[in-house]
Amino acid sequence: MFDLSVITANAGLLWQGLLVTLFYTVATIATGLLIGFAVGLAQLSSSLPLRLVGRVYVEFFRNIPLLVILLWSYYALPIFLHLNITKAWAGYLSLSFYIAAFYAEILRAGVESIDAGQVDAATALGMSAGQRMQRVILPQAIRRMLPPLVGQSIIQMKNTTLLSAITVPDLLYQGSYISSFTYKPMEVYTAVAAIFLIVLVPLTALARRMEGPHAHAH
Amino acid sequence: MRTPIEPRPILTIEKLNLRYGNRHVLRDVDLSVRQGEVVVLLGASGSGKTSLLRSINLLASPHSGRITIGGEPIFDRSGNGLDRLRLSAKQIERIRARTGMVFQHFNLFPHMSVLRNVTEAPVLVGGVPPNKAEEDARGLLRQLGLETHAHQRPSQLSGGQQQRVAIARALAMKPQLMLFDEPTSALDPELVGDVLRAIVALARSGMTMVIVTHELGLAFEIADRVVFLESGEIAASGPPAEILLSPTHPRVASFVARFHESNDMLKPFLEIA
Repeated sequence: MFDLSVITANAGLLWQGLLVTLFYTVATIATGLLIGFAVGLAQLSSSLPLRLVGRVYVEFFRNIPLLVILLWSYYALPIFLHLNITKAWAGYLSLSFYIAAFYAEILRAGVESIDAGQVDAATALGMSAGQRMQRVILPQAIRRMLPPLVGQSIIQMKNTTLLSAITVPDLLYQGSYISSFTYKPMEVYTAVAAIFLIVLVPLTALARRMEGPHAHAH
Repeated sequence: MRTPIEPRPILTIEKLNLRYGNRHVLRDVDLSVRQGEVVVLLGASGSGKTSLLRSINLLASPHSGRITIGGEPIFDRSGNGLDRLRLSAKQIERIRARTGMVFQHFNLFPHMSVLRNVTEAPVLVGGVPPNKAEEDARGLLRQLGLETHAHQRPSQLSGGQQQRVAIARALAMKPQLMLFDEPTSALDPELVGDVLRAIVALARSGMTMVIVTHELGLAFEIADRVVFLESGEIAASGPPAEILLSPTHPRVASFVARFHESNDMLKPFLEIA
């Protein structure tokens, strides 16, 4: 039997968990966008050292599993640096740096997808590299980047569940906690899954709409 | 006929070489264009016409040679690839701003209106006040028969209209020299006429122009000089009548013959119609 009272009795804990999840989702997406934008531009730079820095950053964070990054930054990094890192900072920074690598790739791919003729035309008119990027390339590239940016951000909300591994009280952590004293894992984890669905399905639908036939019309 | 030309060279190219990897695209090209002169570059595809044109405003990066625009050296690199002249990005941008370029595929900015395509560079690069830039742009669009399209997006226009917007966009920077890279090659045949008329009118107004084209008719109509490129070298250069009607160079002769051939093939159909 599915015992709904477990959920209603612990709704407060689940709600707190959801708020923590949403907080980390929004905060790390915002920070990740800033870092990702800088890293993406570095990858597109005409300076070889900058391109290299961008490339190394992306490959570093894309190729280490997020769970490893989280555990390493919470348990190993403090030993290297001889300082205390709270789980909140470790979680926030790990998730931000991690998603920034994916955002950087989306920016790079979006900019590189713009026809070379656009750069030629802007260059021939005497625009500087910055003006070309700002006025001609980015406005067109961002249109193409939006669907993958939304998609990646949806993945980021799901990624926050890994925070429970370093005991940040997110939605999944609260679920495990409730299940540990109620002995009702079926009800609790079903509720956790349902909450993710309720939040993310509308966002996924929005992303799909943006990828639809109207997305490419100017 | 045009008024007698003051023989001041506006563009001088000396011993220009361009390589893409192992491919030697331009070999020791010399070319001088006087103020008000119209030079048409002809040649088979791959002969280096477009590369030569792109070198003039440094969209292509030549291996060696010397380019002077309006008496100002803009590129000077010795045969072993050493720069004898190093311009800052700012200086190069300033020179490009005064050298208009029209591309085969128009390359209009699709996210801007027609009017904005024309005003963007004068305001952003030239520092022209927006009101003044818009007034000038509307004048140019009127000249080119596009005044009713000012607020449309380029994608709503025909190819011929888009190319005329591209011409207006280049003219808005008040260039001292206009470069055309196969301006009619991407157009449907019935749309070529309007663009050709715009180019002819511009030539008649005294604009200095270098045009890469396959339209021999255009060469006859407006060229003061035809330059025929073959494998990256200038094979022939002179007045259109001389080069095209009595070609001495075998490759020029076969190029012109092919043109006549296709015209002759069409003739029976044209006469029926």
